[in-house]
Amino acid sequence: MNTFYATTLLVYAGVDIIACLSLNLVFGVSGIVNFSFIVFQAVGAYTAAVLSMPPQSTPGYDWEFYVGGFNLPFPIPWVGGAIAGGLLAIPVGFVVLRKLRSDYQAIALLVMSVIANTVITNADKFLNGAAGLALVPKPLSVQVDPNTDAYDYLYVGITVVCVAIVLVIAHRIVSSPYGRSLRAMRERELAAMSIGKNPVAMKMTVFIVGGVIAGLSGAVLVGFISTWAPSVWLYPETIILFAAIIVGGRGNNIGAILGAILVPVGFEEVTRLIPGTIGPPGLIPALQWVAIGLLIIGFLWFRPDGVVPESRRVFDGGPAREVQ
Amino acid sequence: LDLYVEALGFGLVSMSVIAIAAVGFTMQFGITNMINLAYGEVMISSAYVAYYINRAGISIWIGMVAAAVSGAVFSFLLNRFVYAPFQRKGTNLIGMVIVSLAVSLMIANLLLPIVGYYAVSYQNVTGDLIHIGPMILTVNQIAIIAVAVLVMLVIHGLLTYTRLGKAMRATAANPTLARNCGIPTQRVIDAVWLITGALCGMAGTIAAINSDSFAIANGASFLITVLAAAVLGGAGQPYGAMIGAVLIGIITELSAATWSPQYKEVVAFGILVLVMVLRPQGLLAKRGALAAAG
Repeated sequence: MNTFYATTLLVYAGVDIIACLSLNLVFGVSGIVNFSFIVFQAVGAYTAAVLSMPPQSTPGYDWEFYVGGFNLPFPIPWVGGAIAGGLLAIPVGFVVLRKLRSDYQAIALLVMSVIANTVITNADKFLNGAAGLALVPKPLSVQVDPNTDAYDYLYVGITVVCVAIVLVIAHRIVSSPYGRSLRAMRERELAAMSIGKNPVAMKMTVFIVGGVIAGLSGAVLVGFISTWAPSVWLYPETIILFAAIIVGGRGNNIGAILGAILVPVGFEEVTRLIPGTIGPPGLIPALQWVAIGLLIIGFLWFRPDGVVPESRRVFDGGPAREVQ
Repeated sequence: LDLYVEALGFGLVSMSVIAIAAVGFTMQFGITNMINLAYGEVMISSAYVAYYINRAGISIWIGMVAAAVSGAVFSFLLNRFVYAPFQRKGTNLIGMVIVSLAVSLMIANLLLPIVGYYAVSYQNVTGDLIHIGPMILTVNQIAIIAVAVLVMLVIHGLLTYTRLGKAMRATAANPTLARNCGIPTQRVIDAVWLITGALCGMAGTIAAINSDSFAIANGASFLITVLAAAVLGGAGQPYGAMIGAVLIGIITELSAATWSPQYKEVVAFGILVLVMVLRPQGLLAKRGALAAAG
């Protein structure tokens, strides 16, 4: 196993962990079925890309069509990507989270994911359409030569720092009184309302926080792979992350991290080892998707709480009684 | 003006396609309380059944009947072996949506290696041109409209005048009460999946006739249009879905004529968002699920 493969795997794992922590806050803890998760990641990635790329007229970039091109140094594009994810969550949340029933929310978000992809694919002057953005500058590439092993290790290091920051934030939210309110709302919204909680405000907040983290995950990914196109954020990508959360265990960060390592990283890497020459072309990727579907259905049937079930939080000082 | 008249002609055809699909979808939701996100994929798989029959040199309309049968059987089995067990287990609405999306993903990717990635089209489906005033339609487009009108009348008759239809409405309104009144709700629900599956298969075939070519990837766009029509009319309401189909069909074709055909689904999505913001219960919601028309 060479360095490049190892570092690539680690960066992907980091991105998937960040993404799963975000989705776990929104879906696992708060019960919002964000089927357009990948759109938030994509917005972060596109924003980070155009913030770090030089203006379109620059030689070497003049064959791509994109807006912006601000040529900003490293941390700014990532921060920008995270902010863009949060900003997108505001109008989407405004439409989806106020009045709609939970299953309506899910279909609205699913449809949005498909449509957003269609729009970006067809609007070829906006973010270079179906071809997508290429030659996105790597962060810190001025200071460190990106073609060295040292740079790959550096990138892994930055990714680990991002994962750590996100994990601390997610942990603080999950274990705070606010996290408790979110879980109460997820379990029974009416009961949460009756003790004075405002579910719409709580959902909006967690949706925006989730959007920020998702945007960051996109920024980290695009900085590493240097390209971003509509074909990498089709709606089934969201389903992989849902599979991860369901397999790992909804509502707890350990489960989200475990799910990220088991499903997007482990599962996809293992199936990559199967030679692609078996059967007609495209058979293995297609069967991979089938397996993801089976994984979701199997876990929902046999072990709906996932590998690491959310711990039941019981107040020690309360009257002793069996909690059903 | 001719542009608009022509678009209106296409609108008539596409509202017919959407109406058949949306009525099936909304009845599944209204009676069995299941948002079946695999609906688009069942449509496309039935369209492929018709494609293989058509390729053997048999008329596409016989292919459509076969597609309806296959859609019915497919939907029935899907409910029997996947959805119903999960519902009995007490999986919540969100869980069911996730299950149906996983099923949709699996159907699409099981079909891919079988039917291939490339778009296909039916043979001998254009037919002669017919002029109705300034509108120009092909024979097959008129046949599509006729089929849709016939199906709507049959559905109306079924829901209003037959015992089965009344049992369906009772099951939709209150399954427990219906069961207590001696309605075999289990068999009613089986019938619903067969009937709506047949509608789904027919809709898939005529949607494929109506578009020049189709591929697996069309399943998602079918689903979006159907969702938009069903939600616009008020989910769970067959008559609402018919109205939704009329509106969505006309508006998307007019937008395609005046703006760009690439954005048809985007326009449908815009309508969906407007409905969800302004009137999330849909146009006809106050009548209660599956109430009789009038």
